[in-house]
Amino acid sequence: MFETGPNWRRDAAFGVVLIAVMIAIPFLGPSRYFIGQLTLFFIWATVVSQWNLVFGVAGIFSLAQMAIFAFGGFATGMMGLYLGISLWFALVLAGVGSILFSIIIGLACLRLRGPYVALLTLAIAQVMYLLIITDTACFYMEGVTCRNFTGGTRGLAKFGDFGFREMLGRREYLKGDYYLSLFLLVLATVFSFAIIRSPLGFAFRALRDNPEYGVSRGLNRFKYQLLVFAMSAFFTGLAGGVFAGHFRVIGANVLSLPLLLFLISMMVVGGLGRAWGPILGAALVMLADEGMKDFVEIRNMGYGALIVAIVVLLPQGAAGGLEQVWEWGRRQVLALWGGTGRLAARRGAAGEERRE
Amino acid sequence: METFVQILVSGLTLGAMYAASTIGLSLVWGAMGVLNMAHGALLTIGGYASYSAVIHLGLPWYLGLPAAIIVSFIVGLLIYHIIFRFMYRHPAFETNVIIATVGLAIFLEQVTLLIYGAYPFLQPFSIEEGFFVSGVFIRFQNVVILVLAVVTMLLVAALLSRTRMGRAIRATALNREAAQLMGVNVGRVFAQVMGIAGVVAAISGVMLSSITTLAPTMGYDPMLKAFIICVIAGLGNVPGALIAAFVLGLFESVVQFAVGVRFGFPALLLLVIIALIWRPYGVFGRRQVRRV
Repeated sequence: MFETGPNWRRDAAFGVVLIAVMIAIPFLGPSRYFIGQLTLFFIWATVVSQWNLVFGVAGIFSLAQMAIFAFGGFATGMMGLYLGISLWFALVLAGVGSILFSIIIGLACLRLRGPYVALLTLAIAQVMYLLIITDTACFYMEGVTCRNFTGGTRGLAKFGDFGFREMLGRREYLKGDYYLSLFLLVLATVFSFAIIRSPLGFAFRALRDNPEYGVSRGLNRFKYQLLVFAMSAFFTGLAGGVFAGHFRVIGANVLSLPLLLFLISMMVVGGLGRAWGPILGAALVMLADEGMKDFVEIRNMGYGALIVAIVVLLPQGAAGGLEQVWEWGRRQVLALWGGTGRLAARRGAAGEERRE
Repeated sequence: METFVQILVSGLTLGAMYAASTIGLSLVWGAMGVLNMAHGALLTIGGYASYSAVIHLGLPWYLGLPAAIIVSFIVGLLIYHIIFRFMYRHPAFETNVIIATVGLAIFLEQVTLLIYGAYPFLQPFSIEEGFFVSGVFIRFQNVVILVLAVVTMLLVAALLSRTRMGRAIRATALNREAAQLMGVNVGRVFAQVMGIAGVVAAISGVMLSSITTLAPTMGYDPMLKAFIICVIAGLGNVPGALIAAFVLGLFESVVQFAVGVRFGFPALLLLVIIALIWRPYGVFGRRQVRRV
């Protein structure tokens, strides 16, 4: 299943250390704001890790990820509000529903190629956005106020949360959301690593890098692309549901272009198609975002410029750059051990090239 | 009869504007393989440039359009020289450039927002007077839009088919390597295409804002519809895009009238998806031979 070798061990060790640090952070008494931002980071990194599977690994130009995210969020909220079921149960149903939703989008879009997919998926997201914000029909009455089915411009609210408030109290409930979203990110990341390093991942990459050859070797392009589309939708939908439960509200603004750009920039900054790219990218972009917090006016301008600069100057992303630095460092260390080390280093470098 | 005229006029106006937005997009895709997500921003810049020329510089209203054309032309050239020039030799150009232009679109939108604010201004390049056709009031502006769109299309078509520059653009679109071997300066062709795209975008931006209002995000919606038209016509197919623009413009205004304004775009999208399931490379599109 997994590719063995130093890379795998390095990733596992790195992952365990990261998870341990993240579990420990709430015990160090950080501010509520810090916990909230980390929770948001886990949610965005989850979405980006799944988007990276579709966009980076399988090479499908889908811009529908936020539409699936919104579907998950709205489905969770609506089931909680209209059916009155527990948000936990609604979350799981929404995840499964997101798979179905993405299959419908996939059936419509994946017969197309390249930029056509980007156009159509973007249009679908925009139509969802327009239908939500122009929703003025009364679905039910709350006293004398009229409430829309989708929540309209105000967003859908009052569907409750995951119950951490009752369980942990008003002061501590954020930690519940924190661990829930951390758990989601870990699951999503393990899932995406498993996909990237599995035979399935090789099929996706083959169809990305040389579709004609892949197809002539017996890979069904439509089938595999629909598969990766549906698989990535599950965690994306769950992330949407967790987002809705965390903020206790979900609105059409999750479909806005600046947010889409925010997430694309995470994917690009991290490095398209790279396993660690999404987490690295989400962390870097959110740090940059913190830095730009005092300059609200030029914040989005900053993202725009950042994306252009990264694509032009560093087409492989930060993860690609770090990988090179890591390999260079490893070679230096090995070279210190003398002649055999040098040989091993050269072999390591050759192996690295083959993997790319 | 009145309803019919009303739908026809609004459909033709919509179609003309979509067509003008589409040519620029289609040309850039056809010649360079660039899906320009910043096209909407070019439209917006054109609209605001006309506004500034008239309101801030005090020029007469009819000079708004030429001013817009000049500004968007320069911005188009700058986009090539600052971004595309460094990217088009990279193997992953077609992917990376989409992301780069998304970034550029937000950047330009934010710059517009910073300069002009979010307040919706009225486009001064506009004629309020009109005439009656079987009881329906039609603004001269609608006629101007239709005429401008048709003239723009004819000019672009003539430019592409009659001039030396047009021949170089068509050659590059057909086969970049072969054109290069025949001595075509591909970089210059790309710059020219971006310049033309800027000019066309300025015209559609001014027209668009003259029947709605100026806003920093005004280019986004027409750009998405232009995308849809490109998709249905086959990207890079200019004549197909024109037919599709008018057909879809009329379709949208019929749906808006019959079902409701908010369902215009969704209905359009549904139609396109059905069309694409029937013909995945666009209704007029041919299967693309991709460069390897």
